[in-house]
Amino acid sequence: METIKRQNIKVIKNIDELFTLIDISLNRNISFHHHLRNGDYVLNHVLSKYKKENIKGINLFPSAIFPSYNMILELIKNDQINDITTNYINGPTAEYITKHGLPGKLKMQTHGGRARSIIEGKNKIDIAFIAAPYVNKFGDAVGYLGKNKCGSLGYCIPDSIYAKIKVLVTDNLVDNLIENPEINGENIDYILLIDEIGDTMGIVSGTTEITKNPIGVKIAKNTSLLLKELGLIKDNFSFQSGAGGVSLRVTKDLKDIMIKENIKASFFSGGITGYHVEMLEEGLVEKLYDVQCFDLEAIESLSRNEFHIPISASEYANPANENQVIKDLDIVILGATEIDYDFNVNVTTDSHQTLIGGSGGHSDTATEAKVSVIVSPLMRGRIPVIKERVTTITTLGKNIDCLVTERGIAINPLRKDLIKKLKDTKLKVYSINELANIAYNFTNIPKDIIKHDKIIGEVEDRTYKIIDNIYQK
Amino acid sequence: MSRSYLFIPGNTPSMIQNLDVFESDAIIIDFEDSVSSFDKDSARILIKNFLKKYSYNEVEIYIRINSADSMYFLEDVKVTKDLDIFGYVLPKASVEAIKELNKLTDKAIIPIIESPMALLKVEDIAKEKNVVALLLGAEDYTKELGIKRTLEAVEILYARSIIAITANAYNLDSIDTPYTNKEDEEGLLIDANNALNLGLTSKSSIHPNQVDIINQVFAPSESEILEAKRIVKKSEETDKGAFSLDGKMIDLPVIEKAKKVLEKAKKYNL
Repeated sequence: METIKRQNIKVIKNIDELFTLIDISLNRNISFHHHLRNGDYVLNHVLSKYKKENIKGINLFPSAIFPSYNMILELIKNDQINDITTNYINGPTAEYITKHGLPGKLKMQTHGGRARSIIEGKNKIDIAFIAAPYVNKFGDAVGYLGKNKCGSLGYCIPDSIYAKIKVLVTDNLVDNLIENPEINGENIDYILLIDEIGDTMGIVSGTTEITKNPIGVKIAKNTSLLLKELGLIKDNFSFQSGAGGVSLRVTKDLKDIMIKENIKASFFSGGITGYHVEMLEEGLVEKLYDVQCFDLEAIESLSRNEFHIPISASEYANPANENQVIKDLDIVILGATEIDYDFNVNVTTDSHQTLIGGSGGHSDTATEAKVSVIVSPLMRGRIPVIKERVTTITTLGKNIDCLVTERGIAINPLRKDLIKKLKDTKLKVYSINELANIAYNFTNIPKDIIKHDKIIGEVEDRTYKIIDNIYQK
Repeated sequence: MSRSYLFIPGNTPSMIQNLDVFESDAIIIDFEDSVSSFDKDSARILIKNFLKKYSYNEVEIYIRINSADSMYFLEDVKVTKDLDIFGYVLPKASVEAIKELNKLTDKAIIPIIESPMALLKVEDIAKEKNVVALLLGAEDYTKELGIKRTLEAVEILYARSIIAITANAYNLDSIDTPYTNKEDEEGLLIDANNALNLGLTSKSSIHPNQVDIINQVFAPSESEILEAKRIVKKSEETDKGAFSLDGKMIDLPVIEKAKKVLEKAKKYNL
C-alpha cells in the first residue's frame, strides 16, 4: 500500500502570532460558521483582536449571527464593520442593525446561496476562521468529536476550500489520523490553538422540544392529515422538518403513521435532532443527511451511525450543484413569521420590522422540495399571520405550496394538482384570503406601521436575485 | 350525545378564542375552580362579551358556574342566562341546588356528582327538570371519602356504574370524570376505556390534547358502524320482529342500538 506523506499544518498558539503571519489590515473579508450556535466562543475571540487593532472596513460573512456574538455589535458601534453577509441574524446585533443600519449593507442569503456564492467567488472571503472541535496535525477535522463537539460542520466546508486563507480554530489537537474528515487538511493554512472554542450545551438553545401546545398539536395533526391525503407518506418518501416544536410534532405524527402502515422513508435532511436519530435507529428511515446538528443526541449519532451522514452546505442546497440533496426532497415543513396573499413568506423580520432570523435553508428547501408546507398558528397573540403583503420576503410565494394552520389549510392556486387531490377530502381547505378573514374576524386588520424610508439591507435568493429590501425601523 | 367535554378557564382569552379549534364536542367554560376569586368578575365580563360577538354551531357550549351555596352563583347566572349557550354545569350538585338554578333559567343542566351524598341521591337528581346529563367529579368525591385515585380506578367503580345506569335509565348522557395526568396518553386511553366499558357515554377533560383520544374511545368503531348498517338494512328488508344475522339473534333492542350507532357516526362525520 502506497503511503502518501502528508505535511503538518503550522500550529499557532495565539491569535497575536497569527497576525504576524497574515496582514490583518489587508484581509478584511472574514467568515465564521455557526455550528456552535449560541455556545460559540471563536467569533468573539477573533473579533476582539480586530477590535484591539482597530481594523476598519471589515466585511463579515458569518453563516449566522446568534445573540451571544456580541463582538460584532461592539465592532459595529466602533465603526469597524462595513458589510455583513449572513443567512440568519438574531439578538442584540439584529436589533441594533434594525434601528441604525450599517455603513455598508446587510445582505441576507440562503444556506445554499451562501455556498454557491463562495464557490463561484461572489462572496470573496480573505480569511475563514473555522471553529473545529477535533483536529489533527494534518489539518483534517470533524465536528462530532472532541470536548466541545458540535456535530456536522456542513456550513463551513465551502469556506474551508475557497477562502484565500483558511484557519482552523481548535481546543483539541490530536495526533491520530481522522477517517473521512469533514474538513480536508490539504486546504488548510493554519491551526490556531485556543483554550475553548465554545460550549457544546449552547447548540441546543431554543429548539428541539416537541410542542405540547394544543394549537401546535392541532397544526401538526392537520399537517400529517394533509400529507396523507396528498399520498405523500409512502415507501421511500423523503422529508425535512427542522427543529421547531410544531415541525417535530409533525415528525412524531408521521412516525406513528409510518409504524402503523409499515412505511420506510428514504432520507431526512437538514438540521438533525435526536428525534430523527431515533427514527433512523428504529429502521424507519434509511439515511440522515446532516448539515447541522440541533442537539447532543444528533452529535453522538454521527459517531455511531454509518447512515447518519454529515454533508456540506453545497451538497445540501447549492442550486448550482447537480447533486444537492434537497433536489430529491419530497416534503419540507417550514415555519413563517408572516405569509401574504401571494404565499410569500417572511422569517427574516417580525411584524414590527425588527430583524429576528433569516432564510437559513427556508427558501432553498421550499424551492426544491416537491411539496413545501408552512405550518403556523393563524394568529400570534393579537396579530394575524396572514397579511396582504409580508414585511420582508424571505421565500417567494411561487415556491410555497401549502399553509397549514389550526383552523384550516390553504393551497397555493399555482398547485392545481394538489387542490384537485384534496377536492373530496374532509380537510378544511380554504383560499388564503378566506383563512385571513377568519383571523381578521378576531383581530381586525392591523394598521400597517412599516417604514420604507431607508434601505439597510437586502434579501438575496439562492438564484442571486434580490427579492426584497430590508428597511430601517 | 357528545363524546367529549373540555373544561376551559373562563378568564383565559387565548383558550376562549380557540374553543372551537380543539375538536371537543362540548366545551365547559369554567367560572369555578380554575378562576380565582379576584378574577370571577373579569371571567364573566370576558365570556359575556365574547359570546355576544361569536356564535358556534359545531360545538355545544356550557358554563360551569360556581356552586349554589357560593356568593358568586347568582351573579354567574344573571350575567350569562341570555347568552347563546347550551346550558350550565352545576358543581356540588344536590336536588335543592338544581331547583335553585331552575328558578333562574330554563337552560339545560349538567349536575356534577362529586360527593357521597350526591351519589346517594343521584336518581332524584336525574329526575329534576332540565337535567340532560350527569357528570362524575371523582377528585372531590374520593377526597370526601378519604381515598386515593388510581389508574385502575377501582375506587370509583361503583360511582361510575351507578351514574352510567341512572343516566341510561333516565335517557341522559353520562360523563366521566377528567383524567388529571395530562401528559399520560396511555393512562388516559385505559381510563377512558374503563369508563366506556361501564356504560358511560362520554368523558370530560382538562386539557385540549386529551380530546383526540376521548373522541376515538367514545365514537363507534369502523366495524361497529358496518355491523350497525347491516342490522338496520336487514331490519328494513324484513317484516319479522326478530331475525338472524351471522348466526346471532337480532331483535328490537339490538336494532335500536344499531340505529344509535349510526346516528352517532353521522353526527361525528365518521
